[in-house]
Amino acid sequence: MAEPAQRDDAERLALDIRDLHKTVAVGFRRRKVEILKGVSLGVRRGDVFGLLGPNGAGKTTTVKVALGLMRPTSGEARLGVDSLGDVGYLPENPYFYDYLTGREFLDLCARLFSLAAATRVERIESSLHDVGLDDAGAVQLRKYSKGMLQRIGIAQALINDPSLVLLDEPMTGLDPIGRVEVKEIIRRLGERGKTVLFNSHILSDVAALCGHIAIMRGGIIIWQGSVDEALAGRDGDLESFFVDKVTS
Amino acid sequence: MSRVVAIARNTFRETIRDRILGVIVLFALLMIVGSLWLASISLEQEGRMMKDFGLVAVSGFGLIVAVFVAASLVRKEVEKRTVFVLFSKPVGRGEFICGKFLGLCLTMAVVMAGMGVFLFGVSWWVAREATPALLLAVVLVYLQLVVVMAATVFFSTVTSTVLATVLGICTYFMGVLSHNVLNLTDVAQNDPVLKGVAWALFVLIPNLSAIDVRGDIVNSAAVDWAAVGAWSGYLLAYTVVVLLAATAVFRRREF
Repeated sequence: MAEPAQRDDAERLALDIRDLHKTVAVGFRRRKVEILKGVSLGVRRGDVFGLLGPNGAGKTTTVKVALGLMRPTSGEARLGVDSLGDVGYLPENPYFYDYLTGREFLDLCARLFSLAAATRVERIESSLHDVGLDDAGAVQLRKYSKGMLQRIGIAQALINDPSLVLLDEPMTGLDPIGRVEVKEIIRRLGERGKTVLFNSHILSDVAALCGHIAIMRGGIIIWQGSVDEALAGRDGDLESFFVDKVTS
Repeated sequence: MSRVVAIARNTFRETIRDRILGVIVLFALLMIVGSLWLASISLEQEGRMMKDFGLVAVSGFGLIVAVFVAASLVRKEVEKRTVFVLFSKPVGRGEFICGKFLGLCLTMAVVMAGMGVFLFGVSWWVAREATPALLLAVVLVYLQLVVVMAATVFFSTVTSTVLATVLGICTYFMGVLSHNVLNLTDVAQNDPVLKGVAWALFVLIPNLSAIDVRGDIVNSAAVDWAAVGAWSGYLLAYTVVVLLAATAVFRRREF
């Protein structure tokens, strides 16, 4: 049984990952590959958290296990919310239903959260507005550009007004204006007390938005702490800190 | 339940808007029109030929649409990673399979209704021989395809799209020939092993032949509708069992 102090800590966490291992079998010979080698991570409620690491570090797998898309080999990943109904998720390089319009797609997502009809209509329009797709709501998704797909992906992640938002590479495919807009969305979510965890290779965005970060390499967390700690004495240069940690 | 309906609605929209579906249905309608020519060269048998050839076209093209769409239905969601969006929301694996299947059934209902009404209209126009029984025959072909679709969805959860398609088509043909398996049990009176195998096959393979009334309708023969009704109940129960098996397999999948 957890001690009272530990229990308080756990209750303050929106995402609590402990000693998470994940091994998968790949190829014809089902060769075992250990993707996660004991990841432990705590994301506090209301924090904007950056999960950093080079490609193949295990960031996406960690998020997938937390969401139940994959089962852990051992360890546990607990969401500090009542259910998946209070979580928003943007997958990496999202692909959606070609023949649905943006509005129909958001309507589907809202229905999956069992939102009432009036709430659905209101959320769909406000989400389209928030991601700058007001004029593209009636266009089929197969006609969307990569950047527009990324935006509609963010809109579907926020359609249920979740407390915990997990964004896998939200800046990918966006032009500079799109990036500024997504940064603004994440910043507003943070101001509204939402917990946001996102992966990104654009470290200047991470430095500007996040309160805390964790750096992964080879399936483990190699550093975890506040952005202020990471930037101490580095003149706002998170990139040099990241490179030092990953290459050391 | 609302999530099942949402997924079914989405599946219906996606499949009905797919241009390939339109092309296949267009071919089916052309085949039915083509049967006009066959009818014209068959002395005194216009109506019979029209119905016979038309029902073959309806079931053949229905089978193509049903199997090809069902085989890719679940796998497409996995390969294109739309499952990430669905299963990161409060959607159960059973709700997903059920919703996808119901959406496909709705699409097939529209396709079969279109082809059935067209066949009825053409038969009436050519030989004034179209009867409501002709439409009932199309409904029973639809029920056969529902069973085949369920089996194909199950195969698609355990194997590739191509193999699921092949197995789906095999299920249909084994199903319409399943009464021959029952005959085998009579032949194998003295061989308990062969008899056991024949019975096992008969239980495993959906008995689609039991509701195949196309021949009777074409020949204007009497149909035992009570037996057809009972066998239809069996086929619907078979469909539910196959979908439960598909759900059980899909629950184990990781993405």
